[in-house]
Amino acid sequence: MFESKRIPLALAAAASLALTAACSDGGEGSGEPLESLTIMAPFFSAVPPEEDDPIDEALSELAGLDLSVQWVPNTDYGSKTNTVLAGDDIPDVMVIQGKDQSFVQTAEAGGFWDLTDHLASGDYPNLVTENAQVQEASSVNGKVYGVYRARDVIRTSVILRQDWLDNLGLAAPETTADLAEIARAFTEDDPDGNGQDDTYGLINPAWSGIGNGSPYDAIETWYGAGNLWRDEGGELAPAFTSDEWLQALQYERDLVSGGYVNPDYATMDPATWNEPFLNGKGGIIIDVQSRAVELAKLFKEQDPETYDRYVALVGQLDGPNGTYALPTAGYSGFLAIPRSGVQNEDQLEQVLTALNELNTTEAQNLMNHGIEGDNYSVVDGEAVFDPAKQDFTDQVTGAWAQLGTNLAGYNAYPIQQETEFDQALNQLRLDLQAEDVANAVYNPAAALVSPTYTTSGAQLDTIIADARIQYIAGQIDDAGLQAAIETWRSSGGDQVVEEMNDLYADLN
Amino acid sequence: MTTALAADPEPPRPRPRSRPQRLRRDAVRYRWLLLLMLPGALYFALFRFWPMYGARIAFKNYIPFLGIDGSEWVGLDHFQAFLSNPDFTRLLANTLIVAALSLFIAFPLTIVLALLLNELRLQILKRTVQTLVYIPHFLSWTVVVSITALLFAIGTGPLWTFLSDLFGTDANMLADPDWFRPLILMQMVWKDTGWGTIIFLAALAGVDQEQYEAAVIDGAGRWQRVRNITIPSIMPTIVVLLILHTGQILNTGFEQIYLMSNSLNRTVADVFDTYVYFAGIEQGAYSYSTAVGLFKALVGLVLIFGTNWLAKRFNQQGIF
Repeated sequence: MFESKRIPLALAAAASLALTAACSDGGEGSGEPLESLTIMAPFFSAVPPEEDDPIDEALSELAGLDLSVQWVPNTDYGSKTNTVLAGDDIPDVMVIQGKDQSFVQTAEAGGFWDLTDHLASGDYPNLVTENAQVQEASSVNGKVYGVYRARDVIRTSVILRQDWLDNLGLAAPETTADLAEIARAFTEDDPDGNGQDDTYGLINPAWSGIGNGSPYDAIETWYGAGNLWRDEGGELAPAFTSDEWLQALQYERDLVSGGYVNPDYATMDPATWNEPFLNGKGGIIIDVQSRAVELAKLFKEQDPETYDRYVALVGQLDGPNGTYALPTAGYSGFLAIPRSGVQNEDQLEQVLTALNELNTTEAQNLMNHGIEGDNYSVVDGEAVFDPAKQDFTDQVTGAWAQLGTNLAGYNAYPIQQETEFDQALNQLRLDLQAEDVANAVYNPAAALVSPTYTTSGAQLDTIIADARIQYIAGQIDDAGLQAAIETWRSSGGDQVVEEMNDLYADLN
Repeated sequence: MTTALAADPEPPRPRPRSRPQRLRRDAVRYRWLLLLMLPGALYFALFRFWPMYGARIAFKNYIPFLGIDGSEWVGLDHFQAFLSNPDFTRLLANTLIVAALSLFIAFPLTIVLALLLNELRLQILKRTVQTLVYIPHFLSWTVVVSITALLFAIGTGPLWTFLSDLFGTDANMLADPDWFRPLILMQMVWKDTGWGTIIFLAALAGVDQEQYEAAVIDGAGRWQRVRNITIPSIMPTIVVLLILHTGQILNTGFEQIYLMSNSLNRTVADVFDTYVYFAGIEQGAYSYSTAVGLFKALVGLVLIFGTNWLAKRFNQQGIF
């Protein structure tokens, strides 16, 4: 009893945080073959799936092991991961969302299986990546500790009010200069034609951190500042030390000082990002492509007849220094296997075999669509959902889909688009992805994990993220921005640069 | 507040000479009092002292996988790293300023409100007001912050409109560093002033009514009665609460401040609690954040002793 209380109490001292016991069973503690597979995963749906729901049963059958998923709300997932790793009831498979300190330290201390060779062996064909660059980006200095969850490489886009563009006789933007002009026109030229000065151009929400897909990050990459790190003649340098970055910030500051951005850009809750766009207050959003689909759907609810005239979607914009697109990391965390539950190679083989089965087309359909013939049916090779079973579908797409890795390709049925406009928008997304991927600027240091960055990266990033907003707001000037970068350097930034370069030299 | 122990009914016996003997005799004699103390002692042992075993990780490089015992000792490295951190002075200053706001403005307002309530003659009015001012205490900080965000929304919030007319500013008050502390203070006062009056009202109920009657006969006005009877009567309560309050002060801010902070006001918003959350929970730096937490506890201890000392200097009873 006391043995198991000890570590949680240590944590309580560290953070006064209540620890919920994780569940773990199966062959734990023995070397016997596993009988069940416990998995910890995040969920986005309103309610998590129940134990042994139809998907659980179908997947368990495919995997050959009884799956038992511990669902954690996505918003709490990061802190929950840290507490579970510090406890002693660790699941067999964990979705790890990022390479943060507790994960990296545990992995380097041998707490997770190194899967590099197992995945490369080809014994598990569904776990062989179709994009080696992404797999490497998900690794810790070249060591692959998890089966990554594949995501679209190109998602960044510019979404505009098509009706406002039409009212003003403007074309969709192709360059950052076009965007500035449209933002100005959307603010000053009464795009909604109501005779009142009640609109603005760009809608930016509050954003923490850097290099995580904010509108600011996108503009900086378009300006040629790189993607978090730049390779300058074999040496890695942070993107924010480049001239292009500063140039991009000046551009952003001009947008704000001109009044072309929502006045609450530093405090707006990102959950309300759609509202000003829908209500006709703001006309431009720089975010992932799927938001355009979301917005079109919301307009459809308001205006089913002519909803197709509101949303315009374009991809990356050409900057003054060239053409660059901002890619995602290509993955969103990975499924890692802790050694505490899975103790020997035989058990590991069992788990990997199960994960291999969980990445078949059949499993992909289960995780992403649900039960064929129940909540969806297949028409002309496309999935059509039953509106009467929407709650179940939401649970599938909001929770089970989180277990999907799809790293060897995604072959589930495409979803049938309701109307021609939806179909066209979907096609446009695919076209933009194909077009922008050629100009994608990858982070050359994605695989590298520097010890200093792991311990104080969040604070270091916050220094820069805050300085960026303060500069854009006009709270600090160029000297203040340089001072913030100096603070970053002296707080451990210089050490990070040094460590990253050492690792970079080792890896290449 | 001191309680005399029940006198021993038996006739006095010769004093036992050795210490163990005396201890045994006392333990038997006061067995019921000791039993009464047991739950409290257990609580402290389990929830206050036992976790200190885990606080060792502040002096180690704690890696969960290796366990507390398996992790390596690093001495005062984490404390050193924290104290030499460029953020340190800022965190300390911000924490102390928020603490001072709560202590010197929010706390006296509680007393003022209690005195005002005490002067109300109409019972039904008094009860209604009391109930109404207690309500905000039961709202979570998340709700309070959401309400604030609505009231102060730039361009649309009613309080924003009012204040921007009053001060002739069009700043985004939710983001402006100059507005951060006033907003925090307003929230604190709105949320907890009413609740804080409960103990004072209890103390006020205990004031001897005859003193008031005598004072009225001597021609004392209402204000004189408050100054010369009410306040001196509840002074011991005020001092004890003040000292307890000082010890708690560094712990109260987290939720409120975390929710109210953003990129533009972080320079004034970061406090120890938000820092520990950031470093410990978000980044999993267990050892480092434990060290920061211990340091915070030390500051709390200094504050308690400081206030206690001050209280004694001003001829009031301290708590120890």
